[in-house]
Amino acid sequence: MALSVYTRRLRSWAYTHVPGLRQLWARTTREVVEQQEIPWADLRTPLRACRVAAITTGGVHLLDQVPFNMRDPQGDPSSRIIPAGTPHSGLTITHNYYDHRDAERDLDILFPIALLASLAERGVIGSVADCYSFMGHIAGAHVMTLAQRSAPEVARLLKQQQVDAVLLTPA
Amino acid sequence: MGLIARTIEAAGIPTVSIMLLREIAEKVKAPRTLLLRWPFGHPLGEPGNRAQQLTVLHAALTLLVEATVPGTIAEPGYRWRREHYTEPGAWPAGITQ
Repeated sequence: MALSVYTRRLRSWAYTHVPGLRQLWARTTREVVEQQEIPWADLRTPLRACRVAAITTGGVHLLDQVPFNMRDPQGDPSSRIIPAGTPHSGLTITHNYYDHRDAERDLDILFPIALLASLAERGVIGSVADCYSFMGHIAGAHVMTLAQRSAPEVARLLKQQQVDAVLLTPA
Repeated sequence: MGLIARTIEAAGIPTVSIMLLREIAEKVKAPRTLLLRWPFGHPLGEPGNRAQQLTVLHAALTLLVEATVPGTIAEPGYRWRREHYTEPGAWPAGITQ
């Protein structure tokens, strides 16, 4: 196995499991732009009637979708649709920047689509809509692509599907 | 992720975001943030721990229906280990029609 693969695994393990390293990254990263104004939309539907979508930035995608591009150091700003009802067995994770072995054992710890479906069955929420996945660590020019193209496109699709609320989970 | 949440919220759909680092949550200012100081890749907890995962979902949905201030960061303080979880009983209803 190439040395670079070991180096990458060691780095993703360290960032996942060493709290001090995560905090150092959070304090020093330039990937995160400080925001000021905060948008707001009221929840207008009772939770038991809400159509809920999950969105993760953990690099989840269908087995037959094009994987996220790990060769670009600025990340991959594109999204993947995860149709409602997709079983965990139909999904995989392409993301080199965190240790996702636990999420591969139980995807609900990262992307809780089966858990949300169980809440819909119990009547806690109304239903689970089509969900979406991105990868985090978007930098450079790709931030603009995410802000001006990919994220608005997903927002448009969510509106089109009459989604009432969205749960977002990070890698 | 904050950027995606903000874009969706600006389009008129309420969002709740789970985040794992306070420094990031305070910078990106998602509309509603549930902050858990847990390892990357584990926003709902450990594999197979359904009570823990449901507890997180319960906290997220409660924040979704109860928060009234843009930029709210709720930190329930669940420890990564040595925390005993039980499946939540009553779930939030939100507004009633």
